[in-house]
Amino acid sequence: MSDLSNPEGISRRSFLRASTVLAAGTAAVAAGLAPLRKLGQFSSVDEFLQKHYKELTPEEMKAVLARIEAEVERQYGIRPHVRDYKPLNGVEFVYALNLTRCVGCRKCVHACVAENNQSRNPEIQYIRVLKMPNDGTFDLEKSDPNYAPKSVPEPGSFYMPVQCHHCKNPPCVKVCPVKATWQEPDGITVIDYNWCIGCRYCEAACPYFARRFNWSAPSIPGDQINPNMSYLGNRPRYKGVMEKCHFCIQRTRVGRYPACVEVCPTGSRKFGNILDPDSEVSYILKNKRVLILKEELGTLPRFFYYFDV
Amino acid sequence: MNDDSRTSLVLAVLTVGFAALAVALFRTPARPALTPRPPLTQPQSLAGVTPPGTIRISAAQLISSGGDASGLACYSCHDQKSPPVVKYDANHRVILPKEHADLIISMRNCVECHSPADPVKLEYTADSTVIMPEAHRNLAAMAHGRNENCYTCHEQNQLDRLHTPEGVELKFEEATLLCAGCHGPTYRDWNAGIHGRTSGYWDRKAGPITRQQCTSCHDPHAPRFTGIIPMPGPHRSSREPSPPASTVKSD
Repeated sequence: MSDLSNPEGISRRSFLRASTVLAAGTAAVAAGLAPLRKLGQFSSVDEFLQKHYKELTPEEMKAVLARIEAEVERQYGIRPHVRDYKPLNGVEFVYALNLTRCVGCRKCVHACVAENNQSRNPEIQYIRVLKMPNDGTFDLEKSDPNYAPKSVPEPGSFYMPVQCHHCKNPPCVKVCPVKATWQEPDGITVIDYNWCIGCRYCEAACPYFARRFNWSAPSIPGDQINPNMSYLGNRPRYKGVMEKCHFCIQRTRVGRYPACVEVCPTGSRKFGNILDPDSEVSYILKNKRVLILKEELGTLPRFFYYFDV
Repeated sequence: MNDDSRTSLVLAVLTVGFAALAVALFRTPARPALTPRPPLTQPQSLAGVTPPGTIRISAAQLISSGGDASGLACYSCHDQKSPPVVKYDANHRVILPKEHADLIISMRNCVECHSPADPVKLEYTADSTVIMPEAHRNLAAMAHGRNENCYTCHEQNQLDRLHTPEGVELKFEEATLLCAGCHGPTYRDWNAGIHGRTSGYWDRKAGPITRQQCTSCHDPHAPRFTGIIPMPGPHRSSREPSPPASTVKSD
């Protein structure tokens, strides 16, 4: 120890001791941090550095879409068309569902899964069809989403499909700490899957249980991929991000009906532009008895249940 | 102990600490390799979801619209050992031969009565259309309330002509107007696009819409819908495997 305290010079022994300690310390720090190498959740530096959807310039967006197309092709072996569909002017989407006609056949659920490239395993579904007792209580506590009878409709029950209500006052958007989810001008609440940090606050905030979380990487058979994709809509999601119904943004923003509307065998599902006085949804809101689910919460949904008669 | 020796001591303690951390991290088992997921059971479990009751669209319409044709029982008529040659269109959908255009015109699925194990021998006329057996003549169920008399709607001498209760004559294709005579509110909703299935474009400027006539979905002789088999329900997580097809069908 007297060598080290010698201010005149460094002895060979103290130098060797100090450099051994230094080398061992460096090696130990490096080894201690080694597991960080396995945190490669981002497939490229571009993806890691990508900006928020609203800050992307058109050129940057083009590059992002090309990168996503290449990623999807590498992963699923099919070349998709990923586009960034913009909201249409003078359009605000509204959905209406006829509780008198719905028979609970769940065709909408599975058409949605196929259209929107939802994970087949673990299973992610945007629409949940609730079987409700027809006893006049309208009590959600008595609902059953797992019904499996031989044939529907069952006597004494009615069916209420629930999906994202695209609220005008959306609790999910308020709670997002990183602004990864927001309302578009046409009323669709969207998610930037590249900006979402997966905190699941929105899932907790939604009173309609409409948001789904990717607990593990989604799995979709390559031959079942829908190649018509949109950035804010049905492109394949990542592990650890939220997703939900987006009114089939890749269809509705080019004027088509959502997949669930087209498949419904009883015509219970109606969709359209509420700003157009001649649209089907305008007719329903004017002429039918309309129910808003959990109206007392003040979420102002754009999704209405209605009755015949 | 002077300052230098204390520094060495601290360095040594830090070194030991980091070395221990490294050993601990390397000894903790690496993240287990991804176990292969259980095979997807959905395609099988979807078999048999075509309604067994009345269907009012023909097999050709069903297939060309991309509908689920898995419940069509081809082998109740065709021999499974010498199956027919199947042709596909550009979208890889089966092209049905002309004879099948009104295959489900009886509005019943063949397997309701015929067992696939005991296929029926088809008989053809000279111009190779299928001869309808006598037993199929009365297949249409009659359940239309007070309208069970044929001549309430059909012309007595010419069954493919229709007339309203007031005596207004209608062509066979104008059946929707005949229905409207009694089902006014429903017809009003249908006219506004609220009743019945609509597909195509909500934006009329962007493209056409497809509407259905009353008899596209309802059997005019028994208009009330019979039940249909529901599609499989949610399976809560990947750890809880999808129920096998058999339970979906029989439960």
